[in-house]
Amino acid sequence: MKNVRIWFKKDCECRYISHLDLNRCMLRALHKSKIPVWHTEGFNPHPFATFPLPLSLGFRGENECMDVRLEDDDYSFEEIIINLNQCLPRGIRAFSVTEPLMKAGRIAYADFTAVIESENASSTILAEKLREFYSQDKIEIEKRTKKGSKVIDIKPSVKKFEINEKFEFVQLNLILSAGSTDNVNPNLLFSAFEAFSGISVDAEITRNDLYNSDMELFR
Amino acid sequence: MVSKDVEKLLLKVQKPGRYVGGELNEVIKEKDSVDVRFAFCFPDTYEVGMSHLGMKILYSLLNSKDYIWCERVFAPWIDMEKEMTDRNIPLYALESGDPVSDFDFIGFTLQYELSFSNVLNMLRLSNVPIKSSDRKDLRQIVVAGGPCACNPEPLADFIDLFFIGEGEEVDLEVIEVFRKCRKEGKSRSEFLRLCSQIEGVYVPSLYDVEYNDDGTIKSFMPKDNAPAVVHKRIMKDMNTSFYPDNFVVPLVEIVHDRAVQEIFRGCIRGCRFCQAGFIYRPVREKTPDVINEQCKKLCKNTGYDEVSLSSLSSSDYSQIVPLLEKLTEWSKDEKVSISLPSLRVDGFTDEIMNKIKTVRKSGLTFAPEAGSQRLRDVINKNVKEDELLSTCATAFDGGWTTVKLYFMIGLPTETLDDVAAIAKLGQSVVDTYYSCPNKPKGKSVRVTVSASSFVPKPFTPFQWEPQDTINDLHIKQEHIKNSITTKKIQFNYHDADTSFLEAVFARGDRKLCRILELACEKGFHFDGWNECFNLDEWLKLFEECGIDPSFYANRRRSFDEILPWDHIDYGVTKEYLIKECEKAYKNTTTPHCRLKCNNCGAAKYGEGVCFEKCKNMV
Repeated sequence: MKNVRIWFKKDCECRYISHLDLNRCMLRALHKSKIPVWHTEGFNPHPFATFPLPLSLGFRGENECMDVRLEDDDYSFEEIIINLNQCLPRGIRAFSVTEPLMKAGRIAYADFTAVIESENASSTILAEKLREFYSQDKIEIEKRTKKGSKVIDIKPSVKKFEINEKFEFVQLNLILSAGSTDNVNPNLLFSAFEAFSGISVDAEITRNDLYNSDMELFR
Repeated sequence: MVSKDVEKLLLKVQKPGRYVGGELNEVIKEKDSVDVRFAFCFPDTYEVGMSHLGMKILYSLLNSKDYIWCERVFAPWIDMEKEMTDRNIPLYALESGDPVSDFDFIGFTLQYELSFSNVLNMLRLSNVPIKSSDRKDLRQIVVAGGPCACNPEPLADFIDLFFIGEGEEVDLEVIEVFRKCRKEGKSRSEFLRLCSQIEGVYVPSLYDVEYNDDGTIKSFMPKDNAPAVVHKRIMKDMNTSFYPDNFVVPLVEIVHDRAVQEIFRGCIRGCRFCQAGFIYRPVREKTPDVINEQCKKLCKNTGYDEVSLSSLSSSDYSQIVPLLEKLTEWSKDEKVSISLPSLRVDGFTDEIMNKIKTVRKSGLTFAPEAGSQRLRDVINKNVKEDELLSTCATAFDGGWTTVKLYFMIGLPTETLDDVAAIAKLGQSVVDTYYSCPNKPKGKSVRVTVSASSFVPKPFTPFQWEPQDTINDLHIKQEHIKNSITTKKIQFNYHDADTSFLEAVFARGDRKLCRILELACEKGFHFDGWNECFNLDEWLKLFEECGIDPSFYANRRRSFDEILPWDHIDYGVTKEYLIKECEKAYKNTTTPHCRLKCNNCGAAKYGEGVCFEKCKNMV
């Protein structure tokens, strides 16, 4: 028995399914593929799979991962990729299998690309406003918790905020805190921007990579 | 596949995974390489429509022909509908993302009357003229089938042709005629005339209806050689009948998210309120071997770990135990569970219970339908109270602690005593639990009693009956509530308002087309959903048209009245239905098809249960 980390892309139609649906989809594909993964031993046995860091609905994922336990140590990684892909919808493609080097709890940062457009502002204005927005000392947002809502400053959680002005849109390269302790969803940042600038934006967001606290790639 | 325009909306609506397609096993073809494009429309949400077996069968069947591409269309939920209309995005099919208006056929399945407003709304959202007479070319042929096609009249102005009965063969025959007509450059009306000659096809525009002064039908006249009576089609041999070995596996959770295996069609019972029990006659079974093979393939191709055996009454399958034995041989190793819905009270044996327990313990639901024995005899639900109680005892001994009981109120001849008997029966089930020596230790029992309102349906012995008024139904609901004295019984009841509208359309005639047209103009939709249904708004439409809805819902018809669906034949004769109705009023039951043939008329198909005995004798 060994733990393996299956790396996949989540794109196309599958961008629009929630983490719960992704989980269901993966379990069904694992079941169908007959890959010898360890099953839970409860009343309704099902393949045991965990996701180090769930992806929000609507985001494209370039380097997503799922951990399973392989019962047959000799089962090749290539076979996992081929068999799993035959059982997955076209929007989810496995492309690599590794032995996990870090535990899920090590995840500290995530790297995003966001394409920002607005119906009522040109890319020049958008870029300018974004620069202004980021130069604030604090970026405050209202966060709703179980105990009620409170205002928090998310600027310390933004490690990179790179603005690239393109012809019809602005491309943002972001590195934000991620993981179980401090997690900033890029959408939070954009709603703060909307409140700041009064410009409503459409954002197409891709999560590229995950990092640990030393900014080493999560593997 | 969705367009860029649609992608912009997807993050603004709930559960966008419903609107994108791209599921495992969806069928993608090259649109230029097919002759016929068929948009299979389910007039409800994705989650409901994707759970429907008929759609899965026909989707696979049509796509098995290389000259047809069948795609799926569902009604967008109200948030998505609004976003689409605001941006002028027409309704599109999930596979190609192409607008529905591009299609040759636009087919609807009619599962319940309250979806009629959605049928028209989906045409409107597609920018397809809703009225048949406004569609001129040989394209956008709007067809419909399913149980509600048995009384097609309320939709007569909108649907070009109806499929009466089972669709596996007749769909393809109509498509063949279409290909021929297109090749020969024939007109839409010529095409429809040719189709009317196919058995099982009803073209409403080829019939003229005249009415009496009292609003009843005076005459119903075919023209252009259309048949005076349209006979339903059935699949005679279920073993060789097309069955998909593959389902589209949804990305988002749907209502019935599992593989579904049909085990037989029809029902031997003949409960007098049940339309399905009459229109799907005769009972035709698949053999256990066929079912077993089909189940295996479905699980293999979909990855589902649950199969539900589907039929109107699973425990009436003549070889249920051998079948379960076959299935459990492999299902455990494959980690697949088998569920067996639609169990009858008298069919739940120890043997069946132990078989379904080995895989997964789901809830138990029984449908006594009426509280008193007298009323159960009236409706021919041949179930006795002691059978129900001993079945419940078996279940409690087997570890179950919750039972759901389904009832109907408003049945013909029903009195308040019959209604109170519902509560009493629920209490007896509770008492049975506490007298069971092997009941689960330290657990309490929960009995759910659900009461829906009876809706008289065409092709049943009660098709002439008045429905109780909404007020009567409310009194009966209250009466049950007040008759329940224990907290161990949870009582639910269905909204009487929706049942009333359902009754109006179930037995409606062509005059109701005007109502539906107005409803469409006003944007009515999702009337099967509490969020959208508003009886007062509907009543305003009836008033505006000068039509009294109680004429359809609450009026007793005489046996000699011409009914709006009299020109449709489902195999069961009117004489038989009259005889059954008369027996109901004498509290007399009728034995089921396997005990005795009662000459309902369905034997004319020469197949199924009507001939089981003869075969066995040979």
